[in-house]
Amino acid sequence: MSGNTEYYTCAGCSCLCDDIEIDLDGENAKTVKTACRRGSNIFLEYKENRAEPAIEGRKVEFEEAIKKAQELIEKSKSLAIYGMDTIPIEAQKVAIELAEGKEAYIDNSSSYCLGDFVEMVLKKELPTATFDDVKDYAYVIFYWGVDPHNSLPRHMSRYTYYPRGKKRQRGYEEDRYLVVADIRKSHTAMLVAKNARFIQVDDDLKLVDAFIKVIDKQMPEKYADDAVRVIREMQKADFNVIMGGLGLRYGLKGNYEKFKEMINKMNEVAKVYFIPAGCHANMRGFNEVLFEKTGFVNKYSFKDGESSLDYAFFELLKNDKVDTTLIIGSDPVNSLPFEISKKLAKINTIVVDPRKSFTTQIAKVVIPSAISGVEQGGTMIRSDGVRVKVNSLFEREINDVYVLERLKEVVA
Amino acid sequence: MAITPMEIYKLLPKTNCKKCGEQTCMSFAFKLVNRERKLEECTPLFEEEKYARQREKLIEYLKPLEEATETGLIVKEELCVGCGNCVVVCPVHVEKDPYGCGSGLAPKTDKLILKVENGVVHVLDMDMCRRYGKNRVLCVVCRENCPTDAISFLEG
Repeated sequence: MSGNTEYYTCAGCSCLCDDIEIDLDGENAKTVKTACRRGSNIFLEYKENRAEPAIEGRKVEFEEAIKKAQELIEKSKSLAIYGMDTIPIEAQKVAIELAEGKEAYIDNSSSYCLGDFVEMVLKKELPTATFDDVKDYAYVIFYWGVDPHNSLPRHMSRYTYYPRGKKRQRGYEEDRYLVVADIRKSHTAMLVAKNARFIQVDDDLKLVDAFIKVIDKQMPEKYADDAVRVIREMQKADFNVIMGGLGLRYGLKGNYEKFKEMINKMNEVAKVYFIPAGCHANMRGFNEVLFEKTGFVNKYSFKDGESSLDYAFFELLKNDKVDTTLIIGSDPVNSLPFEISKKLAKINTIVVDPRKSFTTQIAKVVIPSAISGVEQGGTMIRSDGVRVKVNSLFEREINDVYVLERLKEVVA
Repeated sequence: MAITPMEIYKLLPKTNCKKCGEQTCMSFAFKLVNRERKLEECTPLFEEEKYARQREKLIEYLKPLEEATETGLIVKEELCVGCGNCVVVCPVHVEKDPYGCGSGLAPKTDKLILKVENGVVHVLDMDMCRRYGKNRVLCVVCRENCPTDAISFLEG
């Protein structure tokens, strides 16, 4: 509360809120202030449901689990490394070095999440901005195919719609214009009231088309009213932002060229930026680290030196291309279709995770690690590309960097 | 559900007996909503057996009144996701803490009406709410920006 309050960072989602206050009671977090329900429970219940070192379901010593994992990686002819969405970039770098040394496949959840948008942003094909600029200058705030109230709870109250900024001091009712495009009336869409618009979309491509045609002064097939109104509002200000989520990514059905054309056309008549509104804490971090090293953001094969859909983790599993997988801080049995994820039980699966999950249940080797933001610190990259320093509440010796460095010994 | 004087009146004896000190049952109903009167002050309702069913219904209906704060604000913690929209939009917070709550960041003062703690919103000090005191206004900005209906008011 005073000037010297220590703030912690919540690594629960890609908002990476770095203004969390925590009152400690010995080794337990007693009260967590300002974090959302999802974030506060990461701190309050960090001791629960913890993973233990195990080999084929049998509890073993930590060293033994590491040795077994090293042995499996060494023997492996075709290794895939997957996950890394919730670990700091320092650990991601070690994982990428391990993949390079072993000529392995490497991928994270962005291959079916927002990786394509991050790639376009990193290649400078889409203009982008930071949340600080959005807070200070943005007028039209356009959520397209995303329900931040549920997936990124503090996105609107901390970064975009509600806070007052330098040039937006009169609050959301007068100084912001909210647009929500979604297939259903989500919780975010319920916030649409005065100075706002909800577009119920059944075909995202038609909405993209409507914007292009309105700018070209032609009559669109559908959404004419919505597109005209939104473009008119965008022209009122010199800073507008579109936040694209998974709904937009799948709604575009791969027609990214058309979307880029729409953003370029919009920029002819107004100033529009794009920010991916993703879910995992450091998904973009992995994309950026891999992009710096290889020029690709995900689904990369160090053996072939290229990125392709065939190297996406789910495709590798589907086509039985890997004999060993190293899964770090992710639960593919929960997130991938069962038909694909059940194959993890047949191959050598090594899981590095602080908590028990469905994947740790079927894994051959389980190596416990530390929870980001609670037991390990580092750097993470927010969904707008800003690097955020994550402090740890208690420093734990066995963290992701340590575990991955140990596993990397096999290629050293 | 909103608590209205009309709904209360329908369940009162409607005899205008004046035993409570009010001229009519309707004015008693109004004062019940404003919490200036207690239901127990309607003695016929509790003494006469024929009102037993109405009495039970009224007690059930007026339950939210006990949970509500002085300004009629009710927080249902089980519905709150801790997004903090209410904390950021509150005009009183913006005035008291422009660089904390007003800018979407962690509060820099403890003198607040609402605060997010352990992932849910809590009422800290209702005296500062604009709905309270002499120059009160019917502000509902926190409820308007809560899509999960965790915040509600007695009047609906």
